[in-house]
Amino acid sequence: MDPRLRARQQQSVAVPPPPPPPPVEPSPMGMDGTNDAHAESNKVPDDKFKLKFCTVCASNQNRSMEAHLQLASAHLPTISFGTGSLVRLPGPSIDKPNVYHFNSTTYRSIHDELAGQNTALYTHNGLLNMLGRNLNIKGFPERFQDWVPGRPRLEHAEDKGFAGTESGVTDVIITCEERCFDAVLEDLHNKGGKMNRPVHVFNVDIKDNHEEALVGGKAILDLGLSLNKAAGEEREAFGESGWNQGGGAARSGFDERVPEILASWQDRWPSMPALWSLAWV
Amino acid sequence: MNAQTLQQLESARSLALGDGSYYPTIIPGVLPIIEYSPENQSIELQRWGADFIAEAFASPTWPPDAKENVASSVLPTLKGFLEYVEDKSVIKSVVQAAASVYPLVYRHTISHPHDARDWEIMSAIKANILRRMDTAAPGIRICCIKFLQRVVLVQTPGIVDPRRPDHSDISLALVSRDHPIIPYASLEAEGHGLLDRLLDIIHGDHSDGLVITATLNSLGMLIHRRPIAANKILSSLFKFNPLKLGNAPMTSKNKVVIKSIERTTRALMMNIMKRNPENQINGRIQQYLEHMHRGRVELFDESSRKRPAPAEPTDGLDQAKRQRVAAQAPISAPTVHPLPPGPVSWRQLYTLDPNGSTVNFDVQAFKDPEQLLRILVPVLQSVDAQKLDHAINIVRSRYLSLSHAAKQAAAQSATGPAAEDEEEYEPDFEPEDAEQIVNRLDGLPATDHPYQSGPPTALAPYKLPEAPPLSEQEVQKYGDQTVYRAFGMLSSVDENQKTKITKSGFNRLAATDYGRDAWITILSRLATRANAGLDDPDEGIKDEYAVKRAKGSLSISEAVRDGLYDYIIHDWKRRIDVAISWLNEEWYNDQILAQSSKSTKNGVNGHTSSDTTGNYQRCALRMFDGILGFVEHTDKILLRFLSEIPALDHEILSRLKTMAKDPERIDLACTSLQYLYMFRPPVRTMVVDTLADMWQENDRAKPSAGKLLRKWRPEVLGEERSTTPAVKSEGDGQLAKESANGALEVKAAS
Repeated sequence: MDPRLRARQQQSVAVPPPPPPPPVEPSPMGMDGTNDAHAESNKVPDDKFKLKFCTVCASNQNRSMEAHLQLASAHLPTISFGTGSLVRLPGPSIDKPNVYHFNSTTYRSIHDELAGQNTALYTHNGLLNMLGRNLNIKGFPERFQDWVPGRPRLEHAEDKGFAGTESGVTDVIITCEERCFDAVLEDLHNKGGKMNRPVHVFNVDIKDNHEEALVGGKAILDLGLSLNKAAGEEREAFGESGWNQGGGAARSGFDERVPEILASWQDRWPSMPALWSLAWV
Repeated sequence: MNAQTLQQLESARSLALGDGSYYPTIIPGVLPIIEYSPENQSIELQRWGADFIAEAFASPTWPPDAKENVASSVLPTLKGFLEYVEDKSVIKSVVQAAASVYPLVYRHTISHPHDARDWEIMSAIKANILRRMDTAAPGIRICCIKFLQRVVLVQTPGIVDPRRPDHSDISLALVSRDHPIIPYASLEAEGHGLLDRLLDIIHGDHSDGLVITATLNSLGMLIHRRPIAANKILSSLFKFNPLKLGNAPMTSKNKVVIKSIERTTRALMMNIMKRNPENQINGRIQQYLEHMHRGRVELFDESSRKRPAPAEPTDGLDQAKRQRVAAQAPISAPTVHPLPPGPVSWRQLYTLDPNGSTVNFDVQAFKDPEQLLRILVPVLQSVDAQKLDHAINIVRSRYLSLSHAAKQAAAQSATGPAAEDEEEYEPDFEPEDAEQIVNRLDGLPATDHPYQSGPPTALAPYKLPEAPPLSEQEVQKYGDQTVYRAFGMLSSVDENQKTKITKSGFNRLAATDYGRDAWITILSRLATRANAGLDDPDEGIKDEYAVKRAKGSLSISEAVRDGLYDYIIHDWKRRIDVAISWLNEEWYNDQILAQSSKSTKNGVNGHTSSDTTGNYQRCALRMFDGILGFVEHTDKILLRFLSEIPALDHEILSRLKTMAKDPERIDLACTSLQYLYMFRPPVRTMVVDTLADMWQENDRAKPSAGKLLRKWRPEVLGEERSTTPAVKSEGDGQLAKESANGALEVKAAS
């Protein structure tokens, strides 16, 4: 049990719990053992308030999916997207990438196709391993620009981290490189913020390889948990007693604490330059 | 009970998530459970409810038309939450919901101009949210910002392209100009005002980055959807400095915030450019982005360049910098030169550095004050406050010591040096430095305190020397000239107006325009009434006054009367109407005076004045005499004059006898009398008397006069019948003819 969470567990006696989300299926084992062990220790209890997360990279394959897995494993509601025009995966040579359409090509079909093409190559470069992980997380890569905020995602009920995302909204978007961050902000301008709902958009710069993605996933989970903790504190700091009990940072709201949280996160993860913006979905 | 209720609510919600068309049926059922009431203060229910309303109205799964129908039902709930619930997450969700509902209620009100109730509640909600704008917690403020953006969006006119009508775009263009509940103009004004408020935010405090990025991210859609507001937003953005926080200590939080604001600005600008690649303003945006990029590189490169000295803490660098700045101020202090002994000029007082390069700068080089303003204002803004204070203190101390010295000097009554001062004083304003300008401006009020006798007088307003008093003759001369000029103007107006004479009948009031008649009215009243009360009552009493008037004719009335007389005589046939209206004014004035003097004098001491002669008779006689010199036997205009002047007496009519001495004008005289007899009955006896006199005194007039007298007063004729039978019999025949139809006869006789 995280000592930070333990403190909250005790507090929750005084404060009635927020609405419980629908029951979550027990999370199946991920591809990576260490990964699961890490997530296990950070699991957020289901009776706690949870922010809704969204991870974004270029192709919704490597970095965003690793982060998706880690956040979902911590029982945080998560969806994920790619901002590229097409799903691009390394091919037999640098000038022959494997290209797929978003939203329709499933991870399984990509996995099977690549396995049929050259099992040795794609096993060696880790693509099959990655796709195997991905097809256990959700059905197919989704494109951020095609996402309609607020459209219910009931058909994604089998996805990991589905619980809490059924209404198709998100509180936090985490991108994995600046190009994606810019694309997300721009696309949100185009979407026009029709829901009038604030969303914190973060960028965590992660190099696009399996090792970095793993480390980046941990960093994103760290960020996610820190944010979720602050948001939970805001919910709990209600009423005369709650308001007066919370001291210092806990007393100010979640949103204004975000820069501080990000700054202290940046100190913990100095190799991943971070950006942030408050945007609208 | 709560848990159970929440479970039920949650299942209702999943139903609606499954199919958006259930919302209209679910919302009415949910509202009574979640809304605030003294009984229901469960924070969970309220949070759930606020979230649900926000979610429902933001959902794309049911159409806006259906939402519009349900929108009014949730307004009281939202209002209740805003007024009674303090919880942050409830308020956040409520403001979000309000932002979604506002356009719906707005459109509803547009199409239902008589449904004021919903709009009232919505306005109350809006007012509540706008009140929170500046004071609420940042988490709520950002939602208020989004609400503001929505309001601005619907209250500015959208693009109305008939080829592509966008029915989903709710904008000011939908509002009719004469809407009874939401007047177009006030909506528009409010929209502009709120946009200004929105734009003000980004120029404010950057320290949290939250509201700044929230605002920037809400502007993109406004620029895209409201081209009318785009220029305003862009020009505000060009003034926006994303690296404002660069001056603050470079903590890791500030670093993150600066980078984030910069990046957000960039994303916004890129979006604007991509949306409209042909936009002319894109060059400007590019420029702005480059500038911003350079600024950022400088800001962060500086710290990276200093990284090689790892022993030094990051913050220490900044402090060292700041210390140096602080240390500089005292260094500049000793450079101030002391004032020279003895009296000094203003310029010397304010000159802190007489050797500075700006000493010889001549401000008069700026012919255009606008240009000077453009330079001066930024200079003033960039003045370092510390330096300024220091400079002010120097000047202040100089001033104080000088005023002490001046007091001492005054005690010794030394006035000599002041004159010297004046010679030294240069009125040219020569600012030496930005500080000098400010110093001078600050010093200006001090000039109120007199401490130097010399220079201030030169700055005093210049007064023209007083003219020598006019002599009585001069006064009269200039007065006459004024009157003369007035009539000169009148005759010029006369010529212009002759062509277009409009008769406005009863609508004609005195002096309603600048035409001839108006001036005539003014002048004649000036002549008659200007000093009426002063002149006439005293006439009989103060002899010396009368003498004086006769001698010098100082009275302005007389001058004007002379003017009028000359004016009429100059072209009497055409200006006979002027004569008549003037004489009417004279007569009227006489009547008024007679009445008032009668009443006052009777009342006060019972002294009844002998009937006042007044001015009328005098003027009328003068006028008539003047005219008579020019009258020819064909001038029937004389009839008009006689019949229209307000009063006739024996003396005036006797002038006709004089006229009749000219054989040519006998007929005219008789015709005039005949006319008066027929159309002015009150003067009949006078007319007949005059005629009788004429008949008796003037032999040549006898035939004409006899004809008339035969009818009106035959007894006069009787006296003479024996002496002139021949003439009489001739007249008889004519008279018989005339008696049949007098009026026609008058015509024939002319």
